[in-house]
Amino acid sequence: MVALLETSVSNLKMRTPVLLASGVLGSSYGTINRVIEETLVGAIVTKSFTKEPRNGYSTPIVAYVKSGLLNAVGLANPGYKMLKELLRNVSRDIPIIVSIASSSPQEFAEIAEYAEEAGANAVELNLSCPHVKGHGLEVGQDPVYVGKIVENVKSVSNIPVFVKLGYSDKVVEVAKRAEKAGADAIVAINTIRAMAIDVYAKKPILSNIYGGLSGPAIHPIAVRIVYDLYKVVEIPIVGVGGVMDWKDAVELMLAGASAIAVASAIAVKGLKVINEIVEGIQKYLENEGFGKVSDIVGLAHKN
Amino acid sequence: MRRGRIVKVINEAESIKSFILKVNIDNVTPGQFVMVWVPGFEEIPLSPSLHENSHLRLTVAAVGATTKKIHEMSVGGSLYIRGPYGRGFNLNLKGKYLLVAGGYGAAPIIYALKELREKGKSATYAIGAKTSSKLLFVSEAKSIGAKVLVTTEDGSEGIKGLITDVIKDMIEEYDNVLACGPEKMLYKIMNMCLRANVKCQLSIERYIKCGLGICGSCALDPKGLLVCKDGPVFYAEELIGTDFGKCYSLPSGAKIVIR
Repeated sequence: MVALLETSVSNLKMRTPVLLASGVLGSSYGTINRVIEETLVGAIVTKSFTKEPRNGYSTPIVAYVKSGLLNAVGLANPGYKMLKELLRNVSRDIPIIVSIASSSPQEFAEIAEYAEEAGANAVELNLSCPHVKGHGLEVGQDPVYVGKIVENVKSVSNIPVFVKLGYSDKVVEVAKRAEKAGADAIVAINTIRAMAIDVYAKKPILSNIYGGLSGPAIHPIAVRIVYDLYKVVEIPIVGVGGVMDWKDAVELMLAGASAIAVASAIAVKGLKVINEIVEGIQKYLENEGFGKVSDIVGLAHKN
Repeated sequence: MRRGRIVKVINEAESIKSFILKVNIDNVTPGQFVMVWVPGFEEIPLSPSLHENSHLRLTVAAVGATTKKIHEMSVGGSLYIRGPYGRGFNLNLKGKYLLVAGGYGAAPIIYALKELREKGKSATYAIGAKTSSKLLFVSEAKSIGAKVLVTTEDGSEGIKGLITDVIKDMIEEYDNVLACGPEKMLYKIMNMCLRANVKCQLSIERYIKCGLGICGSCALDPKGLLVCKDGPVFYAEELIGTDFGKCYSLPSGAKIVIR
């Protein structure tokens, strides 16, 4: 059954094209193993690890808004030195992609090297966190700086290097630069900087004021960006953004994503949503007469 | 998020007050929790001590910045509520119930007790506190027809000692134990019940940040149980072999050993 769904991104073989996006349940080995055992997830992207442990922001860190979810977790993580313990305890049946957040090219490389040593199958450079100063969007919108970060990481890495980009006017230019610098895949998009105010409290809800918007609200933006990226980069794209069901997943694949990742849908429907999406993709492939996942990747571009 | 207006404040015990809110939220099962926000302060999880007719009773111990701020509030003030979240107590199991509360862990316990009594079930309320001025809901438990057992560490009321020492010889008389309180107490009760083969449900505590089962801050390794989603009430068997009673995760996710 699963053979139809097998796919690969760079040199990573995946049992299905549905990944767990960074930021959701990806910092404890118990939850990661649970996702691997209870679902047909194709690969795990861990929460972003930084050099120093981070407590993240004070609560409230989430707020429901119409057609989406706002979060400002603040890159809470126990620090990259915990990666060895984490990776020693997680199931190695599927690829584990370690997400890294930093503000300097040297530090990115240092953490990437450590992650590889600890057993990561790939690293994902988080160049698009919308709510932590110096750890994201500002960095990810500067093509030259992104190029430097990717080159630095590539110079110490033997495993694939994924680059996670967010919504910005420069996303296509930045992706091209990342590819030129040796990136093995582009992951797009991240949450989009946004905020919510409670009308009765008359105050911003999130303690950080700003957070990242995810969920259905950002899905069409993700489709557009993946579509635009597919036209200009050769490396595979992992599509992320408001995938709530199999149709959203297929849409991103038709736009050019070799695989997709899920996050907010888990808040709404729980872990079982991963299998619902996987099964929906399978039925779609069968009903539409496709033999493999890669048959539909970028199909919306073809004549 | 819903605004809850404070309609009544009750002094329950030393540094513990109940706030009755009028708020429009879904029905709360005893043991479930709500996230409570006071603008300018941290949002915190609280397990209500009662929910009926759109009135939510939150029993709050002044232990942190948010709870101290809530203690300064009075009738007419607003708290912002989202939820209820998580899995509460299963009160449909057969037989006699022993409900054990440690300190302000009494909040979900008294609510469970009330529902059990309404279902006509036999239930004992066992409450332990440091001293008599910290005891919660003793007269309320009596008024709803429960057998009540009181212990204080200083002997100022009831039996002197720890609640766990007093119940250890009696749990076999019960079919179900429900408990909420300090982790050390819960861990002892869990092991007692497992040995005595008594069905046991424990309401446990971890850093709950999102309440939605996504941030992972309340996860229990190695099973990956999420206190906010799979709990906060767990059966003893589910907690065997987990971090419960052994390790506590800090906000960063780093773990500390529970002494």
